[in-house]
Amino acid sequence: MRCNVHRILLTIAAVTTLTTATAAQNTENPYSTRVDRREGLEGFRIHCTICHGYDAKGGGETNGPNLTTGRFRHASSVSGLFDVIRNGVQGTAMLGINPDTPDRLVWQIMTYLDSLTPNPSSIDLPGNPTSGQTLFAGKGNCSSCHMINGEGGRLGPDLSRIGERRDPDTLKKDLLNPNESVEPRWWRIAVTHNDNTTLEGLRVSEDTFSLRLIDENERLWSLTKKNVNSYETNKTSTMPSVEGNLTDQETDDLVAYLFSLRKES
Amino acid sequence: MKRLLVITIFIVALGQLLSAQGQENTSAPSFSPVTWERLVNADEEPHNWLMYSGTFSSQRFSRLAQVDINSVANLELKWAYQLRELDRAETTPLVVDGVMFITEAPSNLVAVDAATGGLYWEYDHELPEDLRLCCGRNNRGVAILDNNLYMSTLDAHLVAIDATTGSVVWDTEVADYKSGYSKTAAPLIVKDQVVTGIAGGEFGIRGFLDSYNANSGNLEWRTYTIPGPDDPGNQTWAGESWRTGGSPTWITGSYDPDLDLVYWGTGNPGPDYNGQMRLGDNLYSDSVLALSGESGELDWYFQFTPHDVHDWDAIQIPILADIDYEGQKRKVMMWANRNAFFYTLDRETGEFLVGKPFARQTWAEGLDDNGRPIRVPNMEPTPDGIVVSPSVLGATNWWSPAYNPQTGLFYVNAFDGEAEYFIRETEYLAGFRFAGGGQQAVSAIDNYVNTIRAIDPKTADIAWEFEITPQSKAGLLTTSGNLVFGGGVDGYFFALDAKTGEELWHINLGALIQAAPISYAVGGQQYIAVAAGNVLYSFGLHD
Repeated sequence: MRCNVHRILLTIAAVTTLTTATAAQNTENPYSTRVDRREGLEGFRIHCTICHGYDAKGGGETNGPNLTTGRFRHASSVSGLFDVIRNGVQGTAMLGINPDTPDRLVWQIMTYLDSLTPNPSSIDLPGNPTSGQTLFAGKGNCSSCHMINGEGGRLGPDLSRIGERRDPDTLKKDLLNPNESVEPRWWRIAVTHNDNTTLEGLRVSEDTFSLRLIDENERLWSLTKKNVNSYETNKTSTMPSVEGNLTDQETDDLVAYLFSLRKES
Repeated sequence: MKRLLVITIFIVALGQLLSAQGQENTSAPSFSPVTWERLVNADEEPHNWLMYSGTFSSQRFSRLAQVDINSVANLELKWAYQLRELDRAETTPLVVDGVMFITEAPSNLVAVDAATGGLYWEYDHELPEDLRLCCGRNNRGVAILDNNLYMSTLDAHLVAIDATTGSVVWDTEVADYKSGYSKTAAPLIVKDQVVTGIAGGEFGIRGFLDSYNANSGNLEWRTYTIPGPDDPGNQTWAGESWRTGGSPTWITGSYDPDLDLVYWGTGNPGPDYNGQMRLGDNLYSDSVLALSGESGELDWYFQFTPHDVHDWDAIQIPILADIDYEGQKRKVMMWANRNAFFYTLDRETGEFLVGKPFARQTWAEGLDDNGRPIRVPNMEPTPDGIVVSPSVLGATNWWSPAYNPQTGLFYVNAFDGEAEYFIRETEYLAGFRFAGGGQQAVSAIDNYVNTIRAIDPKTADIAWEFEITPQSKAGLLTTSGNLVFGGGVDGYFFALDAKTGEELWHINLGALIQAAPISYAVGGQQYIAVAAGNVLYSFGLHD
């Protein structure tokens, strides 16, 4: 069946005359059904995966950006994203989609990308976000490390818009098992200087010749690798699991609060 | 008599070298036509960089030694040239008698003063708006013969450009860009011909290597990299799959003037990830071809990855050298492949001499006595995905390796990555992607090891490695000053000790380095040049 859909799609792509750009001026995607999403997925795999990865999370041959966050560097509107896919972005590796591709498929790819970003209005969560907000600053002790809208600590990711990047299931996994997938930005590094004094901190960034850390007192350090005796990288998280600290209901409340954090709020 | 001849040649060569390096920079550089003889003897003009990989042997070895392991710490920026188009610069410039020729995205060319970066002229190739491109708008360099430069363009043309003025001499269509063909690589001059490859392996093209008359632009010969129905090897493609089998030729090859053999790598078979649609070894994809320079006739081939299903193009630069191998002087070719194996071949016959993994790989148990991989079962892409090393970027890629005859070591940018590979059904439509699946990253790039590795071609053993964080996509240069120059995506440009791998100098250029460095000299000053981001930088020792 997939093959047939694919064939139909490609046939349409080959014979359809390009529609005018008028459609792109619309602010709503005219092709947003479940069938459109499926065809958009197939279109994405044909046209986009080489740069954006099979799962749209980036890391393809040209190291294209992650497209699953709902935020696009070169487009802030529906019509803007249409224009980026249709025409590409001059001065970057982003090329316009094959010119023989109909506008319909561009819209369908956008529908597929849209489906990768969780929509809060369509998700019914068991937790209470207001209770979760109280837990965040209180019992959960999250704000000692995480900043939200300018308030909180600096030793964990800023969560002001975390709801745009994580679905509720992923958020819950992050809370229960923070070590499962720690981004390199949050690895820990322990440096031993030539005089045997040590420095520990979070890995702000690292390149071939140098390291930048933030220590537990939120001070920034820049170190030249040649000038230190040694350094060790710990890829586990500094964040404790909520398991045992929060009840199931409290965990759900916290998830509901985190999922509500987005630009609109 | 023979001794006298040798002495005479030595004195003439030394004179040329000293004269070039001692050239006073008091007047405008004097470009002079680059004859075939000059190209054949390019290593006698170390102040120039006359072809993509420096010389026909493609060693990327500069005989200049003003900058060496002792003086390299005194390198400083001499000038910079801002490329006009904002894109990834992948150019290897040419330098001829003080004039530098730099290709820019998408298919443009400029000539500048190699001592100052001052502009002589610009050539902008007019491109259609409906290009079909795999991986960005790039150009990697030009070739030169007499007074003409030869450039590939994204709309699959080959253009001859007057080196003095930038005027078009001729413009030949190589293939129909609307069917997915494009051109990004520097051509290679062979006598009075311009040998040039084609890109489009992700679009179901049928790959080929062409040779054009340098004066007229007329096609002299075309050798398809996929045998037709009447040719040996066609049976390695199931059914009609040979028609859309890819096997492009998208990076520059090498040439042995004594053997009159052109060596050229070929890319992946298509569709990339769906091998079920093209059962068989899929000759001559992922191979090196040895072709007669005169006729393009196939002399021998060596296929690195039969029936590739992971997009591991054999698009690397063949490095040629004469080395002592097991007590005999052998004319060899060295090749660190995207499939993670390093090979030393006899370049007269294609005989496999030695080969070992030079980077992390999980797809083969090793190589057999003929160099054919012994596959680990069930590593092909699946509908649900399978994790395999190397990643789709490969253990290395098109990034130029280098060989230093003084150390006897081969240098390569090596990546120990992995990817998850998927298979999908697909159907060929001209001009559309024809991949039959895809791949995705398994983990953040920082979780993997990227190094510059030095390999002994006699044993395929790794002599040393220098770790890069997080990754490099740059080519390499090695010099008579016993240095290796490279760069990283972190924007660092650096120099290593060619014998030990010790880091001796680095500078942060602030942007991705995806090109390969070159070295040249003007007015007695040795320069090291490299493109980073959208700027071409040229370094020399502090005056």
